[in-house]
Amino acid sequence: MTAIVRRLPGLPPLLACLALLLAWQAFAHWAARGGVPDALSTVRELPLILGDRDSLGAIAESLRRMATGFAIALVVSVPLGLVMGRSRIAAALLDPLFMIAYPVPKAALMPLIMLWLGVGDASKLLVIVLGVSLPIIYHSAAGARGIEEKMLWSARAMGMGPVGRLTRVVLPAVLPEILVGCRTGIVLALITMITSEMIARQNGAGNILFSALDMAQYETVYAMILIVSALGIALDMLFEVLRARLTGWADDPHLIAAPPS
Amino acid sequence: MSATLTPPASAAPSGSTAPMIAIADLSKTFRRRDGGTHLALDRIALDVHEGEFVSILGPSGCGKSTLLYMVGGFVEPSSGTIAVGGRPVTGPGPDRGPVFQEFALFPWKTVLGNVAYGLREAGLGRSAAEAQARQLIERVGLKGYESFYPKELSGGMKQRVAIARTLAYGPAILLMDEPFGALDAHTRVRLQNELLGLWERDRKTVLFVTHAVDEAVFLSDRVVVMSRQPGRIKAIVPVDLPRPRRREELLLDPRYQRLVIDLEAMIEDPPEDLPA
Ligand SMILES: Nc1ncnc2c1ncn2[C@@H]1O[C@H](COP(=O)(O)OP(=O)(O)O)[C@@H](O)[C@H]1O
Ligand SMILES: [Mg+2]
Repeated sequence: MTAIVRRLPGLPPLLACLALLLAWQAFAHWAARGGVPDALSTVRELPLILGDRDSLGAIAESLRRMATGFAIALVVSVPLGLVMGRSRIAAALLDPLFMIAYPVPKAALMPLIMLWLGVGDASKLLVIVLGVSLPIIYHSAAGARGIEEKMLWSARAMGMGPVGRLTRVVLPAVLPEILVGCRTGIVLALITMITSEMIARQNGAGNILFSALDMAQYETVYAMILIVSALGIALDMLFEVLRARLTGWADDPHLIAAPPS
Repeated sequence: MSATLTPPASAAPSGSTAPMIAIADLSKTFRRRDGGTHLALDRIALDVHEGEFVSILGPSGCGKSTLLYMVGGFVEPSSGTIAVGGRPVTGPGPDRGPVFQEFALFPWKTVLGNVAYGLREAGLGRSAAEAQARQLIERVGLKGYESFYPKELSGGMKQRVAIARTLAYGPAILLMDEPFGALDAHTRVRLQNELLGLWERDRKTVLFVTHAVDEAVFLSDRVVVMSRQPGRIKAIVPVDLPRPRRREELLLDPRYQRLVIDLEAMIEDPPEDLPA
C-alpha cells in the first residue's frame, strides 16, 4: 500500500474526493428533498458556469480583488508586524489595538464600511485587507519577537545598522513564520472576498452564488461552492510550492502540517 | 594554595604596553522581575594584552557571559569603564568578533554566504568576499560544505562556520562565550585543538568564557577565576605551560595536572554557613 502511495501521491486525495462525492450522492438520494441537489447534477452544472463568459469574468474579477487586497495587506502588515516584534514602544502602542481588532469578524464591518466607501470595489478591498492583515501581523510580530538575539548581535558586530538589521536579518529570519501567516491569510482572503460580495451584491463569484440562492437554483449554488473550494485548494497548493522554494533552508515550521511524503 | 596564584590586582604579565582590553571597576546590576535589583558583577578589574589568550572560568551564573557581552558592547555596564585599544567601548564593532555557544548563524545563508557576510558588509565585492571566505572555510576544515545550509550541519561544523564567519572580517579580538559548551566531548577536544592551531598562527587577543577547567588550562595564557553572587574575580592564574601545546603531552605534565587540581578546588563553591 505504501509503495503504491509513494508511486502515485495523488491517489489518496483523489480517493477521498470520490468518497466524499459518493457520500453526498447517497445523502441527497436518502434526504430526497429540495435544496439538496445530488452530486451528479452539481458536477454537471460546472461546465455551464465555467463555459459562460460572464461567470468566468465575475470569478476573475473576484480573484483580481482578492489578489490586490492580499498584496496591500502583505506590504503593510509585514513591516508593521516586524516593528511590533522588535520595538518595545511599538508593541506597547499597537498590541492593545491589535488585541481588540483580532477577534472582530471583519465581514461584519462590511455594512459600516459601505456607509463610508459605498458598495463598490473600495469597501470589498478594505474588508479583504483587514481580514488578511491580522494573521500576517500576528505571525510577523511573534516571529520577530522570538528571533535569536545573538544573530542580531553578530550582525551588529559586523557593523550593520538598525535598518539593515530589520530588512536583512530580521526579515529573512522571520520569513518562515511570515509565510505561516500568509497561508492563513489566503484562506481569510477567500472568505472575506465571498462574504463581501454577498453583502455588497454587484459582481464577483459571491454575487453569482448568493443570487442563485435567492432564485433557488441550488445546483448553481453548490457548483459555485465547489468552484470556490477548488480555487482555495489550488491557491494553497501553489503557495506551498512557493513556500518550499523560499524557505527550503528552514526547519519545517511546526504550525504547518507537512504533507505525507 | 599553590604558588602559581597571584592576587587579582597584579594582572599584567611581563612587559607593560597599554592593554588591548582595559576593564576597570566594572559592575552590572540587573533589575529583577519583582522590582528588586540583582548585582551580577561586582567591581571587575582586568587587563588583557595584545595577543593574549585569557579564559574566564567560573560556575554558571557568576556573570561570565555578562562580562563578555559588555566587552562586546552588546550590554551596557551599570558603572565602571571598558576600553578597547585605548578607546572606551560605546557599542559593538568589527574590532571585537563574538562567537556564541548558540552559534547564531544566519540560517537562510549557506556556509559560504555566512562566512562571506561580514566581508560583504565591510564593502568587499562578491567575488573577492567569496574567494576569501573559501580560504577560511578550508582553514576550519569545511572544504566541500560551501553550499550547505546551517540546518544540514552538525553542531561542531556549525561552530566551525561561526568561527570562520567571525575571523573573516578580521577582528583584533575574539570574544568567545562557551563556544564548545554545546558540543559532545570528542568534538569539543577536536575544536579546542583546531582553535589553538588557528590562534598560534595569528595570535589574536582572545577572551574565552568557559566553565571547564581543563579547557581553560589547555588554551590560555591566564585564567580568570570568578565566584558567584555577586560575580567577582577570585584570582587570576597564569598558565606557564610551553607552547605550542599538545594535548597528549600536556595531560602527562605534572604542572598541568597541578593547575587543573588547584583551579578545580577554587571554583568549587565554599561550604555555606560555616562558623568562622
Ligand atoms: N538580561 C538579564 N536580566 C536579568 N538578569 C540577568 C540577565 N542576564 C543575566 N542575568 C543574571 O546575571 C547573572 C549572571 O548571568 P550570566 O552572565 O549569564 O552568567 P554565566 O554566563 O556565568 O552563567 C545570573 O544570575 C543571571 O540570572
Ligand atoms: Mg553564560
